[in-house]
Order: sequence, then structure tokens, then C-alpha cells
Amino acid sequence: MSSSPRPSKFLFAAFVMTLVFGAATFGNLPGPVTSTGSQVVNGVVFNFADYPSLTHEQVAAFNYVRGLVNQPLERWDGWNIGSGVYYLVHYQLAFMSYAIERMFEVTSGYRTSYYSDVAYNLVKKMNTTEAEYTNASIESMEWTRPVIGYSNWTQYYYPDPIHPDANDVYTGGFRGPANIMWTGHYALMELLYERNFHNSTFYDEYSWYMQDWNNSLTTDGLGHPRASGIWECGLIPCQPYAIWVQCNTIPLYFTELYDNLHGTDWMETGMWDYGLNFIEANMTDQYGLYTDEYFVQEPMGFHQLGDGPVQEFPGKRLDPYVNDGRPLLEGYGVAWSLLFIEYTEPNVTAEDYPVFLEHYSKDISADQLCMIDTYHNPGKFDTYDMLCNLYAVALAQQMGDLVTRDRIANFIYSPYNKVWSADGRSMHWDTTAVEPFLQSSLAYGWLWATVPVSVKALADARPADFWNYPYISSADDDNIWIYQAQWDPIKQGFVLNVRVDKTATLTFSNFASEPTAYSGGYPLPPLTPVGGSDYALTLSPGTYQLVLTTGG
Amino acid sequence: MSEQVHTSSSRRLSLAQRFLIQNSNAIAWTLVTSAAGTGVFIAFSVLPEPYIMIDLFKIGLLPALAIITTAGAIRGPLAGLLTGYLGTLLYGLFAFGTVVTLSLNAVGFGIMGFVVGLGHYDFNNGRSLAKLSIVSSIGLLLATLVVVAIGLTVEVYAGLVAIRFVMLPLLTEGLPSVFLLTPLFAWAWLFLYSKILSRTG
Repeated sequence: MSSSPRPSKFLFAAFVMTLVFGAATFGNLPGPVTSTGSQVVNGVVFNFADYPSLTHEQVAAFNYVRGLVNQPLERWDGWNIGSGVYYLVHYQLAFMSYAIERMFEVTSGYRTSYYSDVAYNLVKKMNTTEAEYTNASIESMEWTRPVIGYSNWTQYYYPDPIHPDANDVYTGGFRGPANIMWTGHYALMELLYERNFHNSTFYDEYSWYMQDWNNSLTTDGLGHPRASGIWECGLIPCQPYAIWVQCNTIPLYFTELYDNLHGTDWMETGMWDYGLNFIEANMTDQYGLYTDEYFVQEPMGFHQLGDGPVQEFPGKRLDPYVNDGRPLLEGYGVAWSLLFIEYTEPNVTAEDYPVFLEHYSKDISADQLCMIDTYHNPGKFDTYDMLCNLYAVALAQQMGDLVTRDRIANFIYSPYNKVWSADGRSMHWDTTAVEPFLQSSLAYGWLWATVPVSVKALADARPADFWNYPYISSADDDNIWIYQAQWDPIKQGFVLNVRVDKTATLTFSNFASEPTAYSGGYPLPPLTPVGGSDYALTLSPGTYQLVLTTGG
Repeated sequence: MSEQVHTSSSRRLSLAQRFLIQNSNAIAWTLVTSAAGTGVFIAFSVLPEPYIMIDLFKIGLLPALAIITTAGAIRGPLAGLLTGYLGTLLYGLFAFGTVVTLSLNAVGFGIMGFVVGLGHYDFNNGRSLAKLSIVSSIGLLLATLVVVAIGLTVEVYAGLVAIRFVMLPLLTEGLPSVFLLTPLFAWAWLFLYSKILSRTG
């Protein structure tokens, strides 16, 4: 110990190998956080940290999603749709839509075609018909080529599916009343588009669904009032013979938003009361958490299990894993339901969330939490377990439980490499080594998991005056990254946090008079009037935190 | 501190000597080393860890794991055990407010430090450092076995999860980490220690 230690050959080799190994494996670090400062404009303090923001990675993930969506309706390049996942594609479209609509709310003052085209094209893609697009249509993938459920349910009457008479209601068809797993999502996608872009594009169609669901839930389908609706459970089936809680939370949520947007009172009529009570009485487990499907009648082609309890109709579907009379479970359905039902029943979600975590989660490590599909069979891990993680991560975000959100997100995302496009504009996680179909899910899933606006928050309409606020109506979208963009109606200033890659022009509408853009509290050169109430701001490459105001 | 660096010895040591808790001074240094190791472990764990995926294999370096083995190599099995156990436990508590599987996972990493601490090493000798790398790798394998066994039997997660999300990452990140970084950290410690000694005369 008296002399200075000298490195040995082994140590030198270990050092060199560490450098080489470390350099070769340097990747997948967390993306940068959005910088937020503050500035004083005309004596008013604008602290950018007070406003919601997007990260660089969130915008890059959106750009990847944008590339997937903005192609001809029958094209699915990059979606990696294998034959076993047809039945999931329309869910991809729906939840992709919900994820990006939440993102749009973060930057509510940025409403160019860059955002609206993606939302519009998702709606159109969701409604592709077999007649027009054959096997590439959602009608084919979701309705006529199902790989789940039972056959022979494309044409259906209730209650007698085979020999109907005047007492039976026609409930078949892609857009029919017994396909809430498509109609609910389709209408909600349209309604969210209206909420965020306010141009009545889909008003007639989604309003028709509002009426149709009211008819299904409050009449016998033949023109006579009945509180329990056509299926005498106050709920709407996905397949003509079975109902799911989560699928019904979509039209329930739709009804809340419809009322908030259009000043109607569908919820107050009690159209969902019977169904919500039915769920609590008939579709929960011993912990009060939602169970899997409930049969309203026996499906055509149903086979009882060889041994064990007999499946009853109507009744909860029995769990084949345990085969002891307990109901079938689905963790993803619980997470999805709690996510969408919170607006209507906040106490249910608040009480059930910790119970859900207790029974449906597994600790992997301090930084990773894995959600499972069923506590009856924790030894399996398949598509439905991954779905449970994808829904639970957004639920945790909505509940403000960011630690759980981050732990689930770590579990979901850590096994994949981030891949950036050559131009640095888009990013996705490469899942091709495991499940190629997952790639699009993880791209929008990043927004779904992390943008700071919840599903619940979108059920509220924007204030009526919102549509008079100044906003960015057009821009050189492909040259910029918008992290923050919103009008502050109290401080009467437009907050803009933007990175500019190449010189870009942004056009603002709705300013009452010529605005001035401030950076660091100092005015920039005047904006250019471009007709009407529109003013153009041209920015050279750089990152800007700007406040635009007409005061001073 | 002179007994901190173990040298090969044919003497038979008592259990207390082997664990470096034979007197109050030794106990104090063992606890200080454990506390310092725990702190550095947490600091390394909190830092983002770069990695790349090659198919199902997560490849990268986890310096925190090498802190556990280094603590064991410097100050014996008890220091290794405490650094691995407390470091893993407290990192979970501080960073995520959670204790994973009744802290049994942390025991796995404690065992790794313990196993490494059972050996004797001369940090100024290449062959001894190579031995340290090998023993550290064996400790990592034992930790992986313990963590996976606890996951399958106590936490009860799926075999696929155990293999893909626990065992493979621990092996493909852990093995290169403890094999390469433990001798580097140990020698760096020896270097600093000798500098401190030379300054204090």
C-alpha cells in the first residue's frame, strides 16, 4: 500500500471493454423535458410552467402516428396487421383517436390541418365498408371476419335470432344496435372531433347514434317504452348475445360529452340508470370489480364446458381457467371501464382503483409494475395482459398516480428500442422482434400514457367563448415543434413554446387587433397582416418561448 | 482501515473476522462502507441507464450492480449484503415509494454482495481482479436465481414475464456490468485510498 497502485493488463482490458461496450449500447435515454421559463409583458407575468406542455418525444410519436394514418383509407402500410389481430384494428383506430384528441387539448391554441387531418382520417378509416374496400375495410375486419366470439352473428334478431316474427327486433348489421364495440367508438371519435375542431362535420351522424342508443336503452325496440331496454339489462351488446361493461362506458361517456357540447339533457332522463345499476348488481366480482362478458342469451353455436358448472343464460360467463362457477375476468376491461366511467361515477373509480391495483398487478422491480389480465390465472401472459397494461397506464395517469403510471410505462416500453426517422421528425418503438402489430399501439400509447390531459377531462366541452380566442390557424407544420400553444383568457396573452427547424410562418386568427410577440419580455418585429383578423409570424430556426398580446 | 483490503492468507479467520465485525472499530467501518455503498447505489440507480435491445436481449451497463459487488470486495460479506439489500430496498422506497415483494427481491441482491465479500482480493493484482470479476458474475447469477424464484413463487407472475422481463435483462445487463465494472471500481477505490493515505502520511 506504500506505493501508488498500477493498473494491470486485466484492468486495462476491462477498461477498454467497458468503453467499447458502453459506447455500443448507448441509447434509449429518456427524452428531453420541455423547458419553461417566465417573462413579464406589460407588467403581467407569464410563467410557462403554469401551462400544460408536450415533450419533444410526444410530438415525435404523434408524427409517427400521423404517417400511419395519413395514407389512402384502404392502405395500412406500417400497421403490421397479421391475420390473428383483425378484430383489434378498429380498437387501434379508436384509442389512437382518443390519445391524440387528448394531446390536442394540451396545445388547444394550435388547430391547423396538421392535427385535424389526422383526427378526420381516423374517423374515415374507422368507417371503411366492405363494399368499397373489401378485405381492407374495418367492416370486414371487425364484423364479417371476426376471430373472436361465435359465428353467424352478422344477421341477427332478438330474442329469436333464427325464426323471427313481429315480436323480434332486428339487431344485426355492422352499424346495427348490437355492435356497440364499433358504433360506440365510431360515434365518440366523431364527437371528440367536434369537441376539438367545432365545425359540425359529423353532427348529424353522431346525433343519430345518440337517438338510437336512447331507443335501445329505454324501449323494447318495437316502439314501446321499457326501462330495461331491448335486452332487458339497460345496456347494449357488442355481439348480439353478450354485453361488456367497458364497451358500454364508451356510449355512456359519449352521452355526457354530447350533453355538455350541445346543451341537451340525455343523462338527466335516466337512460343509463338501469344499466349502471345492472352492472353493479350483475357484472362484478367479490371485490366489486367488473367481470368479463354477460350473456343476455345463449349464443348460436355455444358449447358447454365438458365438466364443471353449467353456463346459465342469462348470466355471467363462467371462467374456464378455474371452472368452478366463478365468473370470467378481464383486467383490461376493468381498467378501461374505470377510465371512462369516472366522469359519471367518480366514487366508483376512486374506490375501485386501489382494489384493482391490489388484485391485478405484479411487482417486477422497483421501477416496473406489470398488470395482468386475470388474477384467476396469473401464470399466463398474452395479448390481453398487455392490453391491461396499456389501459392501466392511462388510468393511473388519470388518477394522478404518476408513480404507478411510470412503473407500468417502464414495463411496457423498456423492452424496445426507440427509432428516430432520418429527418428527426418522428419516433417509434421497434417491436418487430416481438409483435409487429404492437408498434403502432406503443406509438400512440406514449401519448395515451403521458400527455397531461386525462380522458375524463375531455368529457367537458370547451367554454363557449373559447372559439373566439386567438389561435394558430395555419403554419409550416413540418418545420416546427409546438410544445405549448394556448390563449390565456385571464391574462389576455397567447403562450407559445415552439422549436423551429427551418424558417417557418405561423398564421394567427381571432386577434382583435395587431398583436405583438414578446420574447424574454422584449417585442419582436411586428407580425404581418394577412387579411381579416389574421396575422403571420415568421420565425427563423431556434427555440422560442413567446407571448403574443394586443395590450401595451 | 488497514484490514480493509483483503490479501490472500492461509490464516483461519473467525466468523467475526471474516465478516469484519470483530471489534467496534471494524463494525463501524463495515457499517460506514455499507452506508456509503447504499448511497452510491441509489445515486447510480436514479440516473438514466442507456441500453439497446437486440431482439429480446437488453444490452447495457448497470453501474449500480457493480457498487454492490465492490462494497463486498472492499469490506467483506456483511457490507456486501447490507449494500445490496438496503440499496435495493431504499431505492424502491425513495424513487417509487414501493417495497417489492416484501423486500425479498432486495435479499437477492444482498446475497450477491455477500458472496463476493466471502472472497479475498488484492486490488493491485490483475489475477486477483480477474477472480473478483468471476466471483461477481457468480454472485449475479445467484441473485438472478433468487429474484426469479421469488417472482415465480411469492409474487406469482408468469413464467414468460420471469424470463423476458426479469431474468434476461438481469443477465444481459448484469453480467457485463459486474464483470467489467467491479474491478474498475475496486481499483479506483484502491487508488483513491492510497492517495488519501499518502497525504495523511
